Amino acid sequence: MRTLPRLLLATALAACPALVPAASSAADLIVGFTLDADTLDPANHRKRETETIIRNMYDGLLTRDANMLVVPEIAESMTQVSATEYDFKIRPGIRFHDGTEMTAEDVKFTLDRVVQDGGMGDGVTSPRQGLMGPVASVEVTAPDTVRITLKEPWPILPAMLPNQQIVSKAWVEKTGNEGVATAENGTGPFKLAEWRKGDAVILERFDDYYGGATDIAPVGPACVDRVIFKIIPESASRVAALLAGEVHIINELPAFSIGQVEANEGTQVMTVNGTRSFFIAMNMQGEYFDDLKVRQAAAMAIDKQLIIDKILAGNAAPIDGILSPDAFGASELPHAGYDPEKAKALLAEAGFPDGIDVTMDVEGAFKDTAEAVASMLTKAGIRTTVAVGEGAQLSDKWRTKGAPKSGDMYFTSWGNGSLDPFDIFTPTHRTNDRGNSAGYANPDLDAVLDAAAVELDVEKRRAMYHDAEMMINADQPYVYLWVPQDIYGVSKRVTGWQPSADSRINLHDACLN
Amino acid sequence: MSLGKLLERIVQLVPVLLGVSLIVFVMMALTPGDPVQIMVGEQSITPAQEAELRHSLGLDRPMAERFFIFLMNAAHFDFGTSFYHGRPVADVIAERLPATIELSLVALVVALATAIPLGVMAAIRKNSLLDRVATVGSLLGVSLPGFWFGILLIMLFAVHMQILPVSGRIGYDNEVAAVTGFLLIDTLLAGDIAAFGDALRHLILPAITLGLPMTAILMRVTRTSMLEVMRQDYVTFAEAKGLPRRRVLYRHALKNALIPTVSVAAIETGSLLGGNMIVETVFGWPGLGRLVVESIFLRNYPLIQAAVLLYAVTYVLLNFIADILYTVLNPRVKL
Amino acid sequence: MTDAAILSVPQAESLFRRNLRDFRRNRLAMASLIVILVFVVMAVAAPLIAPQDPNETDLLRRLQPPGWAPGGDWAYALGCDGLGRDILSRIIYGARISIFIGLAVIFLATGVGILAGLAAGYFRGWVDVVISRVVDILLGFPYLIFAIGLMAMMGPGLMNIVLALAYKEWVIPCRVVRGETLAVRELEYVEAARALGAGPRHIMWREILPNILSPVIVISTIRMANVIILEASLSFLGLGVQPPTASWGSMVSDGRAFILEAWWVSTFPGIAILLLVLAINVASQGLRDAFDPRFSE
Repeated sequence: MRTLPRLLLATALAACPALVPAASSAADLIVGFTLDADTLDPANHRKRETETIIRNMYDGLLTRDANMLVVPEIAESMTQVSATEYDFKIRPGIRFHDGTEMTAEDVKFTLDRVVQDGGMGDGVTSPRQGLMGPVASVEVTAPDTVRITLKEPWPILPAMLPNQQIVSKAWVEKTGNEGVATAENGTGPFKLAEWRKGDAVILERFDDYYGGATDIAPVGPACVDRVIFKIIPESASRVAALLAGEVHIINELPAFSIGQVEANEGTQVMTVNGTRSFFIAMNMQGEYFDDLKVRQAAAMAIDKQLIIDKILAGNAAPIDGILSPDAFGASELPHAGYDPEKAKALLAEAGFPDGIDVTMDVEGAFKDTAEAVASMLTKAGIRTTVAVGEGAQLSDKWRTKGAPKSGDMYFTSWGNGSLDPFDIFTPTHRTNDRGNSAGYANPDLDAVLDAAAVELDVEKRRAMYHDAEMMINADQPYVYLWVPQDIYGVSKRVTGWQPSADSRINLHDACLN
Repeated sequence: MSLGKLLERIVQLVPVLLGVSLIVFVMMALTPGDPVQIMVGEQSITPAQEAELRHSLGLDRPMAERFFIFLMNAAHFDFGTSFYHGRPVADVIAERLPATIELSLVALVVALATAIPLGVMAAIRKNSLLDRVATVGSLLGVSLPGFWFGILLIMLFAVHMQILPVSGRIGYDNEVAAVTGFLLIDTLLAGDIAAFGDALRHLILPAITLGLPMTAILMRVTRTSMLEVMRQDYVTFAEAKGLPRRRVLYRHALKNALIPTVSVAAIETGSLLGGNMIVETVFGWPGLGRLVVESIFLRNYPLIQAAVLLYAVTYVLLNFIADILYTVLNPRVKL
Repeated sequence: MTDAAILSVPQAESLFRRNLRDFRRNRLAMASLIVILVFVVMAVAAPLIAPQDPNETDLLRRLQPPGWAPGGDWAYALGCDGLGRDILSRIIYGARISIFIGLAVIFLATGVGILAGLAAGYFRGWVDVVISRVVDILLGFPYLIFAIGLMAMMGPGLMNIVLALAYKEWVIPCRVVRGETLAVRELEYVEAARALGAGPRHIMWREILPNILSPVIVISTIRMANVIILEASLSFLGLGVQPPTASWGSMVSDGRAFILEAWWVSTFPGIAILLLVLAINVASQGLRDAFDPRFSE
């Protein structure tokens, strides 16, 4: 009789002679990663995860070190010629993976491909065009020099350039966009060995690597023979793979799994301050939150520290304005403090002595935290129902760019990969801007933000953002919550690697014992 | 099975594919969420850039026109370009399909090989210990959410005992030339027994997770219909005539009893193919289901359309096979 | 056949009583019935028997272990979930949602499915073509993808979950009924009834339906289990019931993340699903064995 256990046993026996060591060769560094790359084309991707994989094969003009400092990579140096002109001197002797030498023409080609309308050919515009702001033109001014000219001053150009990776002009023209999507020819520390779509991206060391950014030691070819991004979307499985020794680094380690990973013998937890600010938008065009007192009440009703300690396992920094403590222009701000009694009193002053009933929209991924927040609000008289919605629908509903919006509260977040306020402050707080979910409109703030965006004097700019933070701290269009850390689970066999605040996993310097 | 019947089936496929395409289009039209907005996310983009992007994705045309264009292109097997992959949708799907089919087929084989003998035995020895154990055991299989059961299996076999891998299709030291895309076949073609074993080890946990609920359903259906058939007059009659019980059961009763089993198996296989995104997610299995779900959340329209069409064709094919099996099992059923 | 069964009944005892006695003798089935009753009572009387407010969160009790484990508190006998809510109380209240979803979907689906399947299998011709095409189109969609699409379209909510699941669930009984009808309509007794001048309604309801009902009941009960599981799958994909409502499916789904750290969060609701589903199936089988004349020994 064939029963299930019998069958299992038979299968197991059949597999036995072939019982190879579980994972892979000793020199393979395996990263358990949430998402596969969509494409390998540096000009045609739209997700952070894709960029992380691409950037182990492609280098950019500039890059960031683990502390988010922008340093030259392919460029030898950067000179600001005028408010709108930047010169980049290209380092000599850099080779693409196909052996050809990289030139200034390749740099110009790369940037044109991103910046120009229809720049990718066949009428296709790069989806990454917006990341290059007001770039007007890119010219080769000397055999080893490229000049980027801007339509207007844009101080964050250096902070945005690490997002662009240099491709080979000859290769792209020969291969075509579809070819570039599945193959690669970068200048980075690893070259593509095999892409098993949906399963793994297998990279191997590029022995002729020029060494990478001189400011980030060690300089030279990568340490490990192969690097494998193994796709494991489910968190519990990712943690299991780390504990079982199948992978050596995992991203997005859930905060509650920290204890498990630390208790396990061969693994440890590594964290880095993240760049994504979490906050609750309050609809200032709605019936309750047009009143500052109600908004203040909401801010006072939430015990941020308790949630950070309990749900995020202490891995987050509370904020009282939009900026992360690590961002440019961040400063100490007055904080409302946790005071549910005062919140009730404020509600009563605003004309709601019996409290109010509101709904808070949230995406499924943050349901837990939102529910914890909601129960705190409820205890202070703001009786909150959590409504879980799909990301696409919620951003339709809330990010209306000035069109009227419905809803009471929206538990959401905004990323700030460059750690420059321009990336986060303007979109979330400027009147009718793309991420202004609260429907906040303050002409004075708009003026400050617009001026700061083009201010070249670093200290003046810092002061402007401090002023802006003070304004929003007083107006409270949002309840500013926290900036969580990125948490990684790492095998103790891995050395020379540390997580980076922009969520990038740079494996150039990582070794495996 | 005459050629005429085959042609008739192919003709029947047309309204199904049209209907499916139309439903997908209507659902996409009625579902809030703008693909361009999702794509742009938090990036800054000028209205001109946004219009340009919308145009290059073909989203600036009216819905009806898009539907018509889609049908015309699909007739030439051109399903457009995936919004996120920068490549033809057909290529993207083709890369993922073998993994899904391989897992589903293995799960199906495991389920059938377990369910039919168990179901028949349980029916013949009704109310015996075997019957009860098999019944309750099979019910355990449908009573656990697959994702949870899968995680439990991972914890037990991969983390605790460390005898089976957590995720993936095959280890990374094995380089297998893709011929069919099915690793079990490709490794054998390459004569690489070690790689075959490795692929098999990776299949065990996902196949059990996926196949167990189906085993339970098929076993119950087989048992019930077997009981039913054994009550039929002709079986009683045959027994009364003095034919050996075994022969009556296996030659006559079983064949008829398998009709509902086949019918349910065809349906369940269809849902295996499209319903395994959960198993795929838990076991990091690089199949199509996960890709399609992700595409729904990203509103990657071309990929959703093509994938749903593919599922529909597969479903019709499966039913065709089931219908052929009906006639084999019971010649009285006319197609 | 029914007549024969009635004739064989001893005079002193009514058929019903005898069947009831048969059922009572089936101890496994009786036990299952009791389990079901317990769950139903639990669902109905939830506010009376739940030891805690199921939605009362307290982060200080986050992931508190069950009463008997170190660090546990018997006031929260089965421990607490990620928000410090009492798991036992949530299971008790969750019975309402899970049972409701299961019953609603199955009644809707089986009703529609039987009607459509009988019509298709009996009349054949264009009726069969139309129904079969509709079934094909719906079945051509993978189940979960269809449900996800519908949920994305309609938005979350309990009734939308029921609809999203029932929209396709009916085709399964329909397919089975059609296949069975196709086989049964050729059998002698149906031919005989037709020869005696019985109308299609009579033949479908009186002759065919009773003879094909058992596989439908088996499939429906198993599908009901499946529906409860599918609701969990929707939760897994982020499309389950709205918070703070507890359904067993969403509890297992939310708790799976903690499985290494706090096994109790997903295990107890998982066991609840298991018990109920098992009980429904065993009891339904026992009922049928006892009451269906064709199965009486």
